[in-house]
Amino acid sequence: MATKVAPTNHERPAGEVQFATFYVGDILLGIDIRHVQEINRQLEVTRVPHARDEVRGVINLRGEVATVIDLRKVLGLPSADVTRESRNLIVNYDGEAIGLLVDRISDILTINAEQIDPPPANVRGIDGRLLTGVHTLASSIVVLLDIEEALGAASYAE
Amino acid sequence: MSFEDELLGEFVVESNEHLADVENQFLAIEEMGENVDVDLVNTVFRAIHSIKGAAGFLGMTKINDLAHALENLLNMMRNLELTPTSEIVDVMLRAADRLKGLIGDIQNSNEADVSGHVAALDAVAAGQHASANASGVDAAAPAIDEPTAAVEEPVIAKATAVQPTPPMVPSTTEPEAVVETSAPPAAAADSADKQVAPATHADASIRVSVGLLDKLMNLAGELVLSRNQLMQVVGAQAGGGMEGIAARLDQITSELQESIMQTRMQQIGTVFGRFPRIVRDLGAKLNKECELLIEGKEVEVDKTIVEAIGDPLTHLIRNSMDHGVETPQARIAAGKSPQGKLHLRAFYQAGKVRIEIEDDGAGIDPRKLREKAVSKGVITPEESEQMTEREAVRLIFHPGFSMAAEVTDVSGRGVGMDVVRTNIAKLGGTVDVESTVGQGTNIVITLPLTLAIIPSLIVQVRNDRFAIPQVNIAELVRVRPQEFHERLGRVKDAEVLRLRGSLLPLVRLDAALGMQPAADAKSVVDGEGDATNIIVVESGRQQFGVVVDELHDSEEIVVKPLGRHIKDGSCLSGATILGDGHVALILDIAGLGSNQEIRSSDDKREEEHRLGVGAQEMQSVLLFTNHEHESFAVCMDVVSRIERVRSDQIDSVGGQELVQYRNSTMPIIRLEEVITAKPGERPKQVYLIVFETAGKEIGLVAPNLEDIRDVPVDFDTITFREPGVLGSLVINEHATRLVDLFNLAEIAHPDWFEAKKFDAADDGLPPLILLAEDSSFFRKQVAHMFVEKGYRVVECEDGLEAWQALESGEHEFDLIVTDIEMPNMNGFELCRNVKQSAVHAHLPVIALTSLAGSADVQHGLEVGIDDYQIKMDRDRLLNAVHNFAGQHAGNNQPRQLANA
Repeated sequence: MATKVAPTNHERPAGEVQFATFYVGDILLGIDIRHVQEINRQLEVTRVPHARDEVRGVINLRGEVATVIDLRKVLGLPSADVTRESRNLIVNYDGEAIGLLVDRISDILTINAEQIDPPPANVRGIDGRLLTGVHTLASSIVVLLDIEEALGAASYAE
Repeated sequence: MSFEDELLGEFVVESNEHLADVENQFLAIEEMGENVDVDLVNTVFRAIHSIKGAAGFLGMTKINDLAHALENLLNMMRNLELTPTSEIVDVMLRAADRLKGLIGDIQNSNEADVSGHVAALDAVAAGQHASANASGVDAAAPAIDEPTAAVEEPVIAKATAVQPTPPMVPSTTEPEAVVETSAPPAAAADSADKQVAPATHADASIRVSVGLLDKLMNLAGELVLSRNQLMQVVGAQAGGGMEGIAARLDQITSELQESIMQTRMQQIGTVFGRFPRIVRDLGAKLNKECELLIEGKEVEVDKTIVEAIGDPLTHLIRNSMDHGVETPQARIAAGKSPQGKLHLRAFYQAGKVRIEIEDDGAGIDPRKLREKAVSKGVITPEESEQMTEREAVRLIFHPGFSMAAEVTDVSGRGVGMDVVRTNIAKLGGTVDVESTVGQGTNIVITLPLTLAIIPSLIVQVRNDRFAIPQVNIAELVRVRPQEFHERLGRVKDAEVLRLRGSLLPLVRLDAALGMQPAADAKSVVDGEGDATNIIVVESGRQQFGVVVDELHDSEEIVVKPLGRHIKDGSCLSGATILGDGHVALILDIAGLGSNQEIRSSDDKREEEHRLGVGAQEMQSVLLFTNHEHESFAVCMDVVSRIERVRSDQIDSVGGQELVQYRNSTMPIIRLEEVITAKPGERPKQVYLIVFETAGKEIGLVAPNLEDIRDVPVDFDTITFREPGVLGSLVINEHATRLVDLFNLAEIAHPDWFEAKKFDAADDGLPPLILLAEDSSFFRKQVAHMFVEKGYRVVECEDGLEAWQALESGEHEFDLIVTDIEMPNMNGFELCRNVKQSAVHAHLPVIALTSLAGSADVQHGLEVGIDDYQIKMDRDRLLNAVHNFAGQHAGNNQPRQLANA
């Protein structure tokens, strides 16, 4: 059920970084693979009353209770239904396992650090502050998400 | 084992743990020399420092001295002021050995001599590296060290191995030191003998790291979870011999879990131990005398709670000392003993731990708190007016509120009580305050026994399940649709449940949690459909009902923290994983209550009276039929008991029916003999409703008992009017007559009641009773009864009217008889006014109640109510009235009316 993604960046040649890429809507996003703990399709969540919009609910992640964040809400996109292709991308954020609901998992992207361009102020409606950069592929661009910003913005940490 | 012994024992175990590694650490330090690892030195420093601190606290002066000297050197090393050399480390090792020796024989440690070691250490500190005097104590030290050091042989060997460095030039202080060290051998040898016993003694317990215990705890939690899942599966598919195995696993898991929990339990006395000192010191500082009485040191709670409760308790004790207990002068002036008393109690109560801090000091004046809260802008003047006294006292927990008239350095900088409350709430506990001006204050803390695994009830709202900790649950109430009308109602905008005479605020969980109302939802009040499940929960003094859709099983749940994105939810205290693997959120009842602005039921009741929107008064009645189509009711309050007799046990003697009963005979009455009623059935067995009047027990025949229920007291007093019938009401579509048992007895046996009447007249007026009662039915009944007995009565519809009647001075009353629950001014308030007024304070007050609740009685006594009587218990009430009116009447002796 759960696809383990090993954090293998240590063995990469210098300057090479890997991103787990996925779609939210038709936007291709990437997260530094070192943050990714696993990907699962545990989409049935327990709703949390009075939680803020971004919080989709909580799930049982092998005995621990993990929050699932709706990435669409974080990015300011219209919400959409969960489909067969929807997945939880479980990331480790500051010691806590948090699920990111994404519409479809894509590939693992291995690129050189130099191939990353700084983010513009706004990429297809996404606030540039949530991004670490963009990478241009032959036919599309990958928007690289700053996990700290994305989850920090949604957290109530004071 | 005394508490002190226990502390000492703990100190020994703990110190040995600190010292266990010290040799290796010293040796490591030595090896590093100039490049010493400051962190390592720091670790050792802290270990020695802890020993020093604890020894000082326990009065172990020699251990303290030695540890201090050692700590001093370590301090220099971590500040890089001293480079560890073999010589220096040698001195330190010897000192550490000696320290172990002292701790091993703790009882005699104060007689030991450590001056040689201390001098040697001090010499090092002073720059005279190592010394001959250190070797001078050698002769003494090994003698006591050997027994404990046996297991650490290799280390000792190593230590001696590095020793051969030649002693430095003797310092000038040396002779002194040598002289001092000449004494120890005797004492050391002495202590060596006694040392064997404690060494084996400590073996009964071992120290385990908290981390390991936590891990065990988590594993036990997981096991409980898996067990729950297994039990569900097994429950679903019975057969195959699985049940037996599962049951065994179930049992073992429970026991294992309990045992592991036990490992985390600590006596609360470890926290209480610090308070005598605090009270003593504060007393001296504040010029107050105070005795601290501690009870329940042995009460055990989870380690996390023991650790976390220390600070809040310290704060509360300081507060009590500072604001509660008065100065001796003030106490004497108030007629109290100059020495104040502070009671600190811990005890188990209903699966929780309750801690009380009670002082006999000045108490908290709600009026002052109100004024202050208004002046500080904490509440508005309107809110202040609306507040009950209890709520006003609770203002001390309001953020930014200090209860000291002036700020002192002991407490009361306006931070504190709210922090105390927050900290206790974090532990899943509650804190409340009770105070009586002039008599003292009692702070009550309720804590769970443990935080990790909690028994909970699983409930469902819509599709979501939630866990409610059992500690918060008082009872479960199921209201059937046909009872909605009677049991559920509305006070202003709030839904309420009628529960045994009081009104309980209701919280609909779906609404409280922001869910859309279900499509088929019907308001509880006018609803039909399914029965309503209500969980009566409590948190501190708050009690309210939570309406849920469904109740599931009770489960032992393992509390899991919620992530950082959900921290704000004050209604939730965590999450858990249910047997089926789904997550259920744990409801925080205190948070839910405060979110919904639920006030305690007492407050609610008081408010209802003030607003005059009180619910209808209820009366508990016994329903029965005499003839098939004739229903009757009697007030339960006056029924002594119900007996079942065979018809052939009833004899007739001279026209009076009697039943043989407990070696005597009891007269019986049949309804048709005294009121207009069809003759009752005569089955083989009948019930007797037994009541007492005129000093006799009488039985009323009731062929068929139907039910006991609470009914509103708005009886129809006209339709069936006749002597013996109080009124009528419709129950289950049957007109039901409420009969007055006393009146029936009087009709049947007028001769029994004559003695009760007043003696024949002389001049003057009969006693005048002021009667306050809002229910017109009861008012008429009671007034009628008094008038019949020859009293004069002034009737008032509520407390305020009664108070105005008093104040007008128009009448000179002899006695006040008042209902408790009334609009505008309730019986308590009326009584308080009366007793506080110079003019009326002498008037006796009898309170009437339909239910004599002990809380009410207590409250009543506090405001000065002289006596409590149940409304329908005519005999007792008349007796009480007779006694009080007679006792009191100065000018107006009880006399009979001319026509009586």
